[in-house]
Amino acid sequence: MPAKIALAGLGHEYVNPFTRERVLALDGLGLEVADGEFLTVVGPSGCGKTTLLNILAGLIVPTRGAVLVDGRPVTGPGRDRGVVFQEFAILPWRTVERNIAHGLEIQGVPRAERAAVVRRFVELIGLTGFEKKYPHELSGGMRQRVAVARTLAANPEVMLMDEPFASVDAQTRITLQEELNAIAQATRKTILFVTHNVEEAVFLGDRCCVLSRRPGRVKALVPVDIPRARRTWTLFTSDPAFSATKDRVLRLVREEVGGEEAER
Amino acid sequence: MNRLGAPLRGVLPFVALVAAWTLVTQTGLVSALFLPPPVDVARTAWELARDGSLWINILASLGRVLLGVAASVPLGVGLGVAVALNRRLAPVVEPIVSFFNALSGIAWLPLAITWFGLGWTSVTFIMFNTIFFLVFFNTLVGVRTVPRIFENAVRTMGGSRRHVIFQVLIPGALPSIVTGLRMSIGFGWRALIAAEMIATSTGLGFLIYNAANFHQSDTILVGILTIGLLWLTTDRLVLQPLERRTIERWGLVSTVEP
Amino acid sequence: MTLRWEVVATWLALLAAATAAWGVAAATLPLPDYYLPPPTAVLATLGDLIAKGILPTYVAESLRRILQAAVLGLAVGVPAGLLLGMSRRAAEFFYPLLNFFQSVSGIAWLPLMLVWFGFGERTILIAVNYTVLFPVIFNALLGVRSVPRLYVDALRTLGASRWRIARDVLVPGALPSIVTGMRLGLAYGWRALIAAEMLVGAHGLGFMIFNAQNFHLTARIMLGMGIIGVLWVVLDYFLLRPLEEATIARWGIVQR
Repeated sequence: MPAKIALAGLGHEYVNPFTRERVLALDGLGLEVADGEFLTVVGPSGCGKTTLLNILAGLIVPTRGAVLVDGRPVTGPGRDRGVVFQEFAILPWRTVERNIAHGLEIQGVPRAERAAVVRRFVELIGLTGFEKKYPHELSGGMRQRVAVARTLAANPEVMLMDEPFASVDAQTRITLQEELNAIAQATRKTILFVTHNVEEAVFLGDRCCVLSRRPGRVKALVPVDIPRARRTWTLFTSDPAFSATKDRVLRLVREEVGGEEAER
Repeated sequence: MNRLGAPLRGVLPFVALVAAWTLVTQTGLVSALFLPPPVDVARTAWELARDGSLWINILASLGRVLLGVAASVPLGVGLGVAVALNRRLAPVVEPIVSFFNALSGIAWLPLAITWFGLGWTSVTFIMFNTIFFLVFFNTLVGVRTVPRIFENAVRTMGGSRRHVIFQVLIPGALPSIVTGLRMSIGFGWRALIAAEMIATSTGLGFLIYNAANFHQSDTILVGILTIGLLWLTTDRLVLQPLERRTIERWGLVSTVEP
Repeated sequence: MTLRWEVVATWLALLAAATAAWGVAAATLPLPDYYLPPPTAVLATLGDLIAKGILPTYVAESLRRILQAAVLGLAVGVPAGLLLGMSRRAAEFFYPLLNFFQSVSGIAWLPLMLVWFGFGERTILIAVNYTVLFPVIFNALLGVRSVPRLYVDALRTLGASRWRIARDVLVPGALPSIVTGMRLGLAYGWRALIAAEMLVGAHGLGFMIFNAQNFHLTARIMLGMGIIGVLWVVLDYFLLRPLEEATIARWGIVQR
């Protein structure tokens, strides 16, 4: 079966417009993501994870290489690839329900149908009663839930998530991860999840893609063989298989970080 | 004291002021020619209201403001958005607009009179300049400072350029636009009064300047009070709440006075 | 504002283009001469008025008046606003009055001042100083009232006296508002000055352009307008705005 997402020889170079300095963010990256797979991407800071995601989202045009989604090249952003950003990107001037409905609005879904979908998702993310609130009235965790719900409600083919839980407190983060896990199970969406947090990457991913330090390449692909239905944080902290995988990924990432430090 | 309520507390200072004013004129500290007592002013106000001249002048002034707003605001917002969208044009236009903004409305008057003569056209031209550039500038800056991430969010949902403009850029710029609107009407109102003193024969500015020629201090004071009250009510009852609601709705910190 | 040379180059190009277009329009449009003098005429006027010493005098006069109002605003308006703000009763009492008097610009008082003092320097100064003073007092008052109660309480628990609290908390906390008030006051004041100079005479840039209109000296009008704009831009952009930003950057924006 053809891969949902296929990257081949992906390279990207940034040119600083002021200093004319060139930075190679990605170099010869090749990756395939299967349909319905939850792939997490980890790596040391600056390894190009966000660049990779932005290229997939169509927000950046790579300087080299091919990006195919469903066999078709990516030419720009589109509703087939939904993005949950790191910072709160839900519109401050829209209520919770209008934010969640936004993707549907753009797609031209009629109002009654929109309302039904929104209601379902509001319930899914546990924000019943908060439909008419504005983002500034919500906590960080709640805002990110709305962001996830917005992307989900628009029903994209692929979900791209850029460290969505980074700015949320530890307690809430765990809850959100478990919720995301449940959603992934229920919807079977293809998800590419970027994070710098190794535990998060292992907890959530079917496979964990470890990127090398800059310029980013695929260093390793580590499968996480625990069935999704069994994944909870308690299991994560107690199960030896889980721990072993986590240690492995951590070691791989550390190598890259260590190598970077050795270079300096 | 608290139970007397806010409206009363708002009125009390003015009552005190009028009392002090009466006292000053009563004791002959200041000649009635210079500072007529409140009762005289009230009487003149009544007369001017009765013979309609007060209303005519109020309407003339307000009409000019509205005309100025109607002419400048849509154009200012439209151009502001259009220019802001062009990433290369925007940083160039910004200082130019800023300069014209700095050219106060009243400074246009001699040129306006040269071109259009005395009367409505000149005054409207000044109102236009005063309001247009500020609204243009604020819209431009407002749109440019909308965080990129909101635009990205809408685009990754498949939103078109139109979606980005109307669902992200304009709402995002709205606090800045409304602030610009409020400030420009403030400047515009003041420029109007000055312009009416010079270039027209109707309006509140004309009323008080003309009265000065005849040393009619009471008429002047009626005019001044009217000018102050009109601006106060328009600003505090209409413009400021609008500004505050827009800003607070967006969850930004409001620096608008309460 | 980072001045990239591409932007500067574009400005210069635009300026050249605009000037050229202006020159062409002046030469070709079927209007009386005094409607649209060519750019060269404006430049010639510049040289002429500087040589005659008229322009420097007028500029100096206008600047003198506005700067004097600024000094008064700073020396009198700021302390007045701060003191009023420190007492809740006083603040509540004077707030509506200040609001009202601020709504009546100095220019509206001009006719009354003409009756009292006639056409002269004093009339202009009163109008301009009035215009600058009220926003300054008003904003200083608001600034003090907006300092979070928390900071005051914190210092009280350290045993600070009222004077100490005023010095260490209220004044710095009100500073952003004060600077904003100065900016606003001077913006209104500059405009009121030009208007007052037009109405009263007694030299100054406002008088210059108004007088020029009587003699159809349009080049002089345009020159005057340009200088008025440039002076304000210089004042606002290079003095007031950096001051405001420095204050806010240092203290953080005072939140309500």
